[in-house]
Amino acid sequence: MAQEEGSSSVTSSPLQFLPWMPLSPGMGSPYPWLRELKSEDRGLCLIHLLLACANHVAAGSIENANIGLEQISHLASPDGDTMQRIAAYFTAGLADRILKGWPGLHKALNPKQASLISEEILVQRLFFELFPFLKLSYVITNQAIIEAMEGEKMVHIIDLNSSEPAQWINLLQTLSARPEGPPHLRITGIHEQKEVLEQMALRLTEEAEKLDIPFQFNPIVSKLENLDLENLRVKTGEALAISSVLQLHTLLAMDDEMHRRNSPSGSKNPNSNHFQRVQINQNRRTLGDWLERDVVNAYSSSPDSALSPLSLAASPKMGSFLNALRSLSPKLMVITEQESNHNGFALMERVTEALNFYAALFDCLESTVSRVSLERHKVEKMLFGEEIKNIIACEGTDRKERHEKLEKWMLRLELAGFGTIPLSYHGRLQANRFLQSYGYDGYKIKEDNGCLIICWQDRPLFSVSAWKFRRYD
Amino acid sequence: MLEKIMATEEAITSSNNGFVQNPVGGSNPPALKKKRNLPGTPGKLTNFIFKNIDSSIYADPEAEVIALSPKTLMATNRFLCEICGKGFQRDQNLQLHRRGHNLPWKLKQRTNKEVKKRVYVCPEKTCVHHHPSRALGDLTGIKKHFCRKHGEKKWKCEKCSKRYAVQSDWKAHSKTCGTREYKCDCGTLFSRRDSFITHRAFCDALAEETARVNAVSSIHDLTAGSINYDLTGNPLGPNMAQHFSSIFKPISSNDNQTRQGGVSLWMNQGLAQVSEAMGNNIQEVHQLRSVTSSGAMFGDLFAVSCSQTPPSDHYQLNWPVFGNKILSDAGASQLASVPSLYSSQEQQSHRTAPASMSATALLQKAAQIGATSTDPSFLGSFALKSNANKVQDASKFYGLYGSSPVSTNPASDVESSGNDQISTLNQLQMYPSKRQKIFQSDQDSPSGGQTRDFLGVGVQAICHPSSINGWI
Repeated sequence: MAQEEGSSSVTSSPLQFLPWMPLSPGMGSPYPWLRELKSEDRGLCLIHLLLACANHVAAGSIENANIGLEQISHLASPDGDTMQRIAAYFTAGLADRILKGWPGLHKALNPKQASLISEEILVQRLFFELFPFLKLSYVITNQAIIEAMEGEKMVHIIDLNSSEPAQWINLLQTLSARPEGPPHLRITGIHEQKEVLEQMALRLTEEAEKLDIPFQFNPIVSKLENLDLENLRVKTGEALAISSVLQLHTLLAMDDEMHRRNSPSGSKNPNSNHFQRVQINQNRRTLGDWLERDVVNAYSSSPDSALSPLSLAASPKMGSFLNALRSLSPKLMVITEQESNHNGFALMERVTEALNFYAALFDCLESTVSRVSLERHKVEKMLFGEEIKNIIACEGTDRKERHEKLEKWMLRLELAGFGTIPLSYHGRLQANRFLQSYGYDGYKIKEDNGCLIICWQDRPLFSVSAWKFRRYD
Repeated sequence: MLEKIMATEEAITSSNNGFVQNPVGGSNPPALKKKRNLPGTPGKLTNFIFKNIDSSIYADPEAEVIALSPKTLMATNRFLCEICGKGFQRDQNLQLHRRGHNLPWKLKQRTNKEVKKRVYVCPEKTCVHHHPSRALGDLTGIKKHFCRKHGEKKWKCEKCSKRYAVQSDWKAHSKTCGTREYKCDCGTLFSRRDSFITHRAFCDALAEETARVNAVSSIHDLTAGSINYDLTGNPLGPNMAQHFSSIFKPISSNDNQTRQGGVSLWMNQGLAQVSEAMGNNIQEVHQLRSVTSSGAMFGDLFAVSCSQTPPSDHYQLNWPVFGNKILSDAGASQLASVPSLYSSQEQQSHRTAPASMSATALLQKAAQIGATSTDPSFLGSFALKSNANKVQDASKFYGLYGSSPVSTNPASDVESSGNDQISTLNQLQMYPSKRQKIFQSDQDSPSGGQTRDFLGVGVQAICHPSSINGWI
């Protein structure tokens, strides 16, 4: 696999008919000295070219972007070193973005085909196994659940992305060892694919029978945004816990353009700022409503600040979802999210943030798995590559991978009426022990405001935080 | 009864020297046990009335209370031989010694009647044990107590700075001083397993150097401690981790093998034996400091301690084999050789350096360079590093980015700082002129107000590729 499909499609696309001479004479690189670059130099070169190209794409100058992509194609490769791989996938994303300008072309090259479910399951499984992130998240989540559910006889857990049985098997085993005996456990799993849920149901009921725990698994085949909370059938008297592992950010997908247009911009209208602020204060009771409304720019008008309300506010889906969750009065909600800001409005912002984030992830793989490993390639291409493509190439409701940093999540959740539960010392201890016991070198766990951040060599990658429904006085 | 007790107390307090014998009347005596006083439980006389058998810290009310003076307590050899002046702790011993001098001797016989239990009070008025209800039952005990609490600490440990008033305490300490210590990588010493483990979990230094974690002490405690150490008797710890091993087991094939060796380390409660055996092999294990080994063992420890059915055939305490196994089986990135174990972490990070820097490091470097460089070019340096032919190629490259004054440093390597070479600059500028015409039309749009990239330079500058030289 020499070239990314994306970039090769660009070079062979009708763009070539534009009246400029292609740099490459057709075969081989015109810059033989490029081959001689040391990997470090090549890496730096790639970064530079990537950013230049991204700038061109952001500015809409396609010809330059094309040239840039071509340059990069000589250096990048999905089979090379870390930077080469990253560049390969980023250029694929950029090319995809450019191609979307020709919708016919894009659709012809990316026909809507149902991807093999088995492949998707496999990729998720690989992510689970090659990295400790999911495992750590499960450890911490389960610990938080157990602590919150101490003494509860009926426990109901809602899993927003029920794909990995290991998480709940672990919980089942731990619950069975509870001193007061295991509770009556119900797990409601939500996933888009029926097969995944069937698998989960099978494994979990098997495990529960082994451990003699009264258990019930309710599958719900649905997209998260279309979730009807009635289906969850939360009963009174049962303690509710919600587990969201890398799912919540998909609800942030919204039509940004529309929102931008509809909402009054703060900088132009300082009065409206004040007005909106007042409005918000008055409407404290109906924060949920506020979240759903198109009220933007409530606090400041600086679009650069990380906590800009422009991005914080009004994703209608998120607002209504959180509202609904709140109405269920969960005892505990544990949220695991990527710790990086990939939800910036500007493409460059997203590209640079994504570069840093995925660089760390690719580094993890580089340090732990060999370069020729097929599994690694799969994870890189089908998981990270797709995420990168989504971040770069998609906009509006299509862009699902809207990762945000913990501070934003905290604001968002607090506005929605949730209060933090600091993750316990014991949970952190468990997580650290887990890392040590399995020899996961280079990974670290940091604590931030009661939440845990899983880092790779000081670069925060995933955050785990626990929440409860905070009642107003 | 209460009046008798009160009288006794007064009698005792009034006398300082010599013996005072006063029976303390009372009902059925509770057994005299060495128990710590419960917080809030007053050591009052009134408790005798309640005859609380649980409050066995209180002295037998029927026992003889003896109050000795400090001098008497501290005196070691009170019984002196008048001939040679040799001192004896007991009168019996003195009498026997007198036999040797052909002196008249008399051994006191044990009294026929039932021996009255004797309890001793501490002469120090401020002491808790000064009160007859809190008297201690043993003469040696009260002597030691007095020395410890109210005496001068004459005995000093050689290794550490601890001082002791009682010689036996000092002896006991010096035997164990330094032998059972837990040291965290950050340098903090602990004598208790549990506090060590707590610290370790949060110590940053440890987190950074997990690859060269100190083997034995940490393995010891991590594992042994983890059996016992669970904060509130919560069985979650072992159970959770047990499930680590079953559910979250990493797919690396190394684990199985290391695990087999690892299980051998702690066969449940045979820790004492294990630690002994381990003690012999501490040297080896010290060298084995790898997280994988300790990790695998750790995981297995939990599996074992959870009273599941561990594979019994692996219970071979086979250290040297284990050691070799670790070395041979462990992942390439970790345990290449014993000496390198220590720096395996470094190796790992540096391993990539000659081969390829980690992407994050590259990004940081790029950011640094971008931040510091003003108007550098980098591709030129590459080109000019080689020969003149390539300059042409580089110039084509430049043409891509539009014309701009480029500073290059042909002679230097990547590491050198950017020096402007105006001559080559001019040279370069001449080359791209032809190409520029072609590309210029395309270049018009990008120049000008573009978004700034994260390197802190505008697109304009990006059109002037930054030099590696400036990136130091």
